[in-house]
Amino acid sequence: MFRNYLKTAIRNLWRNKTATGINLLGLTTGLTCCLLIGLYMQHELSYDDFQSKGKRIARVIMEYTFGADVTRGNFTSTKVAPTFSRTFSEVESAIRMTQTTKVVQYGDKSFVEKKFMYADSTFFDIFSFKLLEGDPRQALMYPKNVVLTKSVAKKYFNNQSPVGKTLKVGTDGVDYLVTGVMEDCPSNSQMRFDMLASFSTLGVNQEVTYTNANYTTYLLLKDKNSFDGLQTKIDNYFKEENAKSNDPFKVTFILERFDKIHLHSPYEGFEPNNSITYIYIIAAVALLIMAIACFTYINLSTARSVERAKEVGIRKVIGAMKGQIFGQFVGESILLTLTSLVLSIGFVMLLLPWFNDLTNKQLSIASLATPFVIAFTLIIVVCIGLLAGSYPALVLSAFQPIRVLKGSFKNTGTGLLLRKSLIVFQFVISVFLIVGTFIIQSQLHYIQSKKLGYDREHVVVMPLDMKIMKVLPVLKSEFTAGSDVLSVARATNLPTHIYGGYSMNRPGLPEGTEIMVTANPVDEEFVKTVGLEIIAGSDFTRQDMEDVMHEEQEKKIYHYILNESAAKEMGWTPEEAIGKKMFLGDMRPGYVRAVVRDFHFTSLHNPIKPLVLFTEDWGRYILAKISGKDIPGTLARMESAWKKLVPHRPFEFSFLDEEYNNMYSAELRIGKVLNIFAAIAILLACLGLFGLSSYSAQQRMKEIGIRKVLGASVAHIITILSKDFIKLALIATLIAFPFAWWMGNKWLQDFTYRVNVSWWIFLVAGSLAVIIALVTVSIQAVKAALANPVKSLRSE
Amino acid sequence: MIKIKDLEKIYRTEEVETVALNKLSLEVKEGEFVAVMGPSGCGKSTLLNILGLLDDPDGGSFMFNNIEVAHFNERKRADLRKHNIGFVFQSFNLIDELTVFENVELPLIYTGVKSAERKKRVEEVLDKMQIMHRRNHYPQQLSGGQQQRVAVARAVVNRPKLILADEPTGNLDSSNGNEVMQLLTDLNEQGTTIVMVTHSEHDARYSHRIIRMLDGQTVLENIMV
Ligand SMILES: Nc1ncnc2c1ncn2[C@@H]1O[C@H](COP(=O)(O)OP(=O)(O)OP(=O)(O)O)[C@@H](O)[C@H]1O
Ligand SMILES: [Mg+2]
Repeated sequence: MFRNYLKTAIRNLWRNKTATGINLLGLTTGLTCCLLIGLYMQHELSYDDFQSKGKRIARVIMEYTFGADVTRGNFTSTKVAPTFSRTFSEVESAIRMTQTTKVVQYGDKSFVEKKFMYADSTFFDIFSFKLLEGDPRQALMYPKNVVLTKSVAKKYFNNQSPVGKTLKVGTDGVDYLVTGVMEDCPSNSQMRFDMLASFSTLGVNQEVTYTNANYTTYLLLKDKNSFDGLQTKIDNYFKEENAKSNDPFKVTFILERFDKIHLHSPYEGFEPNNSITYIYIIAAVALLIMAIACFTYINLSTARSVERAKEVGIRKVIGAMKGQIFGQFVGESILLTLTSLVLSIGFVMLLLPWFNDLTNKQLSIASLATPFVIAFTLIIVVCIGLLAGSYPALVLSAFQPIRVLKGSFKNTGTGLLLRKSLIVFQFVISVFLIVGTFIIQSQLHYIQSKKLGYDREHVVVMPLDMKIMKVLPVLKSEFTAGSDVLSVARATNLPTHIYGGYSMNRPGLPEGTEIMVTANPVDEEFVKTVGLEIIAGSDFTRQDMEDVMHEEQEKKIYHYILNESAAKEMGWTPEEAIGKKMFLGDMRPGYVRAVVRDFHFTSLHNPIKPLVLFTEDWGRYILAKISGKDIPGTLARMESAWKKLVPHRPFEFSFLDEEYNNMYSAELRIGKVLNIFAAIAILLACLGLFGLSSYSAQQRMKEIGIRKVLGASVAHIITILSKDFIKLALIATLIAFPFAWWMGNKWLQDFTYRVNVSWWIFLVAGSLAVIIALVTVSIQAVKAALANPVKSLRSE
Repeated sequence: MIKIKDLEKIYRTEEVETVALNKLSLEVKEGEFVAVMGPSGCGKSTLLNILGLLDDPDGGSFMFNNIEVAHFNERKRADLRKHNIGFVFQSFNLIDELTVFENVELPLIYTGVKSAERKKRVEEVLDKMQIMHRRNHYPQQLSGGQQQRVAVARAVVNRPKLILADEPTGNLDSSNGNEVMQLLTDLNEQGTTIVMVTHSEHDARYSHRIIRMLDGQTVLENIMV
């Protein structure tokens, strides 16, 4: 029986090559998308699963209140970990961590290590990273101990064991003793450092303040259910602490579940987070594409049911039961989906490198080769086969044999309504995705073309450290010796993302008031280099810089440039502000030099807040404004100057506009992914439409023949054949609009600065859908209309 | 074997009601060969479909082997049908995607006969129908007469007690037609009951008894000698 079904199934599929081809193409594409997205999701959802104590780990988020201003951040001071371990019995142990960039040298090998982590000695107790060599309890016990990951160890020491050797770390070449080698951090880990040094090395092991917040703190709880209890205790504890002092600055802490950080936390970890929303979006897109493929299958199969009717009729007369016929057709669709699965696995392997590039991951199909996933995939495929096959099977198996065999059988609307609904639904999905893509693209375009209040074009960004600082004046003059480098500045934060938190004050405000403000230490060339617009006062001068270069803190005089919001916060108009005295933090007395127009110094997700630029003689970045006429030439010249003056560090640079785009990497990526999948969805919908229209043209061959004999024009016949489909596409467009509008707005709400969803997006999306439908359908219609009528009539 | 009384079949479409069978009564004994004749549209095919349990009547009684089957549901009818009745159609109705052998094998598959036994019986019957050499061909590769022989082979392979034939020679020339009639006569002589609809007086003469129908009723019976 089964063999017989298989045989008929294969022959049937083979005989109807067009329909089979379309279905195979559709299902394969759908499954390929699903598999790729499945791989991606599996990876995203598996983040930190390998941490065996992950459910007991909390990240500590600081919340600081200043008047009405409440801010939360993922940084804490060194005081949190020891205080919490001591004070709260729920805490088993705690750890402080921070990741920086270090130049590391061994013998004649020197590299810039961008993922150089410092962590307390509890590290290997709290986290489940495997130590291959060394003692997990001792490895980070003493200052200047360092553990290397396997691949980094190889980079410096080849196949020798590095344990017991010393590395020179940092610009001043401090000796660090290698105390262990660990397995590389898994790709699904929220921390992926290359070197891990003892926290005590930093020499900041103090418990003075909560406000010097530069570190990440994790707690290991004794019981995974004690999060809420501990949170209440923390709340109460800090309520008391805050009541004790009359500092207007209040602080408390919030626990965040470690295993929820990657997908649910608004605060970054050591590696970029993802958002569960994007996971949902992409999963939905996969499902929609699969739905389109299934609908195409259902449509083509039911449309072709007339052809199959005779076979069904005969089988029934001979004795086939309804269930057997049903089984036969479902079997056919499962066979087809299984074939598609095999094909799509091939495609996934082909496409994986490209997809990895797109998603910035290192996924491999091997991760799918677990018995569970294979079983799951097979079940899904069978379900899809059932889903796609069961309706046509139901229709076909219910045929009355006598009606069929008498030849009086016509496709009298069997499933016609369903077919129309499915076409509409496919187009709803397509139009929805087109509109969604347009909205996302226009917001991304807006982000990229937005006048931010500064000029991010042609600004080269280079790192700055203490050693470079010493040669900076020479480096600057070397750079600016050519006319292609216009100015060179120094800053602590890049203008794309300024986040240093300070408080400001001025004489005349009540004692103790401090206004929260974001501030960035810069030099006198900063405003010019990034092209800020001064609306009152004048730029910093060389003398202003000299004023802060005194050895003794008391002699330093600071100078400030405020943005409009900061001036307003202080109660000044831009003009009034100039020359006024103010303080930043507890000390730093100084004078306002200028007010600049508000500019976007963080992501467009956030509104513009008060900002202060102030003179200081240190920083983390060098910014060089270049003419952009001969970029490779300029960079080559800068590199040779760099090599001469900064021998300890390779010439590494980025462009400011890249740094800017990096802030939107999640959006840019989802934009790209959606583009591709929307295109696939539309293509699949068209494929279905193509199949259906070719079928309907074929069915109406005789009618068309007669009409032509009677004198109908080609245009008339095309109209007859296309009209219905176009109507459906139009209906779909109207249905899709409200959904797309609603979803688009919801997504945009995350941005403080955003585009409006304008009517033309809908107009374009709608016309696009209808035009695509029209083109697809008329290919068939034209073919049918041009055919010789004698042929179609004779073959009847 | 078949005993029907006051059988009614009414087709309803939006505008008209067609009475296809009008209180028709009829009896067919085991081993009989009955021909049904009458003008086009008089209800012959309708009758045959009901006899073959492909369709249910709107009224009257239908005893098949002394069981009342008029009210049987589709499942029961299908079950009874596949074990007892074979069909031969004017337009052969072979499945184009299956070979001659597979077409004939099909009823055996549906009645659950084992594979080895199936092979034996299909070959036996193909041999009898002298179409063995064409066993691996597809229906389109055969002449009309050959196709009808395959259809007859398929109808008898399950050794049904009753064969219903609706204009079995309608699409055949006279020599191919005679061949098929000879096959049916042979089957009848081996004990199979046959009810055959035909427009041909010549073919009808192969039967024992001719039932003449008009407007859904039997009007005359000729007993052949
Ligand atoms: N599905 C149907 N719907 C409506 N009327 C039908 C249907 N099938 C048959 N009829 C009508 O029932 C009557 C009997 O039809 P039937 O097919 O039994 O005739 P027939 O005697 O077999 O004719 P022919 O010799 O031409 O095959 C006819 O008037 C026909 O129009
Ligand atoms: Mg008839």
